[in-house]
Amino acid sequence: MSKRVSKSGSITRRRLLATASAGAALAASPLGINLLQAQTAPIRIGMSMPQTGGLAGGGKPSLLGIEIWRDDVNAKGGLLGRKVELVVYDDKSSASETPAIYSKLIDVDKVDLLFAPYATVPTAPIMPMVKQRGLLLIGNFSFQVNSKVGHDMWFNNAPWGPPDSWATSFLDIGQKAGGKSVALLTADQEFAQNLVKTTREVAAKRNMPVVFDQAYPPNTVEFSSIIRALKAAKPDIVYVASYPPDSAGILRAVNEIGVGDNVKIFGGGMVGLQFGSVMENLGSLLNGVVNYNSWLPEKSMYYDGTKEFFEKYTKRAVEAKVDPLGYYLAPFGYASGQLVEQAINATKSLDQKGLAKYLRENTHKTIVGPIAFSADGERKESAVLQAQFRGVADKNIEQFRTSGKQVILFPESLKSGELVSPFEAARK
Amino acid sequence: MKRNGIAFWIGAALFLAAALLMTKVVSNQYPFFAGYVILQFIALAVAWSILGGYAGYVNFGTSAFFGVGVYSSVFLVKAFGAPLPVQILTAAAIGALMGFALGLLTLRMQGIFFSIATIALTIIIETAVTNWRYVGGAAGIQIQRPPVSALFDNYVQMLFFVQAVLVVLAVAISRYIQNSWIGRGLQALKDDELAAECSGVPTLRLKLLACVISGALLCAVGAPSAMYLQFANPESAFNLNYSVSTLAMSLIGGTAHWSGPIIGAILLGTTQQLLTVTISSEVNVLVLGVMLVLFVVGAPEGIIGLIRRIFRNRNEGRES
Repeated sequence: MSKRVSKSGSITRRRLLATASAGAALAASPLGINLLQAQTAPIRIGMSMPQTGGLAGGGKPSLLGIEIWRDDVNAKGGLLGRKVELVVYDDKSSASETPAIYSKLIDVDKVDLLFAPYATVPTAPIMPMVKQRGLLLIGNFSFQVNSKVGHDMWFNNAPWGPPDSWATSFLDIGQKAGGKSVALLTADQEFAQNLVKTTREVAAKRNMPVVFDQAYPPNTVEFSSIIRALKAAKPDIVYVASYPPDSAGILRAVNEIGVGDNVKIFGGGMVGLQFGSVMENLGSLLNGVVNYNSWLPEKSMYYDGTKEFFEKYTKRAVEAKVDPLGYYLAPFGYASGQLVEQAINATKSLDQKGLAKYLRENTHKTIVGPIAFSADGERKESAVLQAQFRGVADKNIEQFRTSGKQVILFPESLKSGELVSPFEAARK
Repeated sequence: MKRNGIAFWIGAALFLAAALLMTKVVSNQYPFFAGYVILQFIALAVAWSILGGYAGYVNFGTSAFFGVGVYSSVFLVKAFGAPLPVQILTAAAIGALMGFALGLLTLRMQGIFFSIATIALTIIIETAVTNWRYVGGAAGIQIQRPPVSALFDNYVQMLFFVQAVLVVLAVAISRYIQNSWIGRGLQALKDDELAAECSGVPTLRLKLLACVISGALLCAVGAPSAMYLQFANPESAFNLNYSVSTLAMSLIGGTAHWSGPIIGAILLGTTQQLLTVTISSEVNVLVLGVMLVLFVVGAPEGIIGLIRRIFRNRNEGRES
């Protein structure tokens, strides 16, 4: 027993010596090797992404889009001869998690570039931080998050454009169909409230009377009384800004009660009607609704690489168990990568100021169309689609892959059909 | 007792000195961001334990108090551009009033009924703030930090130190309560409220006092959070996660001694921070859940209870 102890003791000493000398050799390694490593080390892009919590349904497909870009760019040999690597943390859909995560990305992981998490709430707390440190940030579908901060190195991948463009496009379509009065139905949540605020302002500018203006608490499930009150107000245009569970509740109530023959156009800002599972569940209840979207499988929406992207996405979405369609966010995640790819290739460097200057001054080709930025880092022109659901059958997700199920009414350049109005007729 | 007191204050002074030294020596920002969150949870757990631990009144309204702290800061900054100390003091005063009102309205309820009433409080206040457009309403509000005071290099380091001071304050108060007549009274009413009342313990007054102190501290801890995030929205500020985490930390640490919530918060808070930047997926939620179940089954009185049991067993073993 005692022999064994002494033997293992001597081995430990020897090992210790060997380890120490190896450590010393490593520490004293020539500077040349380190420099070589820096040149061949991967370019690291850091981000947090909601993978649990309320925003996970959007965060996961968005991340998959970015991962597909990473694999494509690495297959082409990477950027500046270096592979691209993603450093991703889960922010649990919460604003209180992101400051620490981005500090870790910047100060500990020392990533080369930053992408923002999906959505406004997790992004808002990191805006002042990146501004203070002078870092480039590619936004991911957040809404007007830079309007107060005024960071000149912020570029949002979302097609939003000027803040009032959503309201303008929807009310335009409604007015052309003969609509005069407006009803507003809004969830008491961040995104919906931002949308309805601009709608109120645009309606006031155009002297369109708002005959019904109702906000409902988040998590409302029963809408029949609200829809009855809305119907009684006899509006021509109904603008709804809602979240996935309530979008479904509202459409179910409308199906039972109806909204009256006056209504020319119904929808506008209903979140959820862009996600495969929600659309599959609602099926024919969607018919007639005119709603915003970011990408749809209409002929006018295909650019260089779009088709190939969706072929890859469709395969990988099954493995990753995310939205099988992935139209709303995934191609824009890919486009975020394309933005930095073009900027890095053009400037031949990772200098954040140089990249920002390039992104601000040029138009960039992406799989979601050409992107140009205005001074606030949002799109110069809105590319938010307003599309009408047509001929949707129940319980069939595959039908949404064909064109004609969501006919694009706005913008003019991407239009793929005309509005069917009034709403009650379009529902049939 | 006296020697203990001196040791405690020396410990507290050393802790604050270490926190201050850290802000001077460490240039990497991440430890301050992560440390702030952990310190915040320590202070919350200690404050919660005053009512939830000593008196045994399980308060699910931590997020209500925390959120009110956040929004009182938001209001003060927007309306008057008030500095951080004013924000914290005002939040504490509002928290004390809120605790008093909550106490008056609900402390005659016991057990689960009191807990349900505190959840209702969170929902009511969150709904009110959601509809208060001046502080951003449902859309939330972004706020700009003022320049940092001369003592610190940047604002997050200052917030880290401020939170460390709040931790010391909360622990000192909690420790004082445990060792004074208030703690003994609360202990008595926790064991049997009717018996305590019959023995002359002023139960309602004691509970009210615990509610006021706990409320003031919870709100005060929430106040700097507005400046930490530079953003506030009702969903984040009144997130039920604050209530659940605080409760879990206190229970895992043990509520019988003032140090229990500190141990629980350090353990759980650090684990949460580590998991966020390591596993970082659905798995981290699972790990926390499993940890909770293990502690509830294996150590129903928390870590403090476990340690006491081990010591007791050892002593008994020696005697026999």
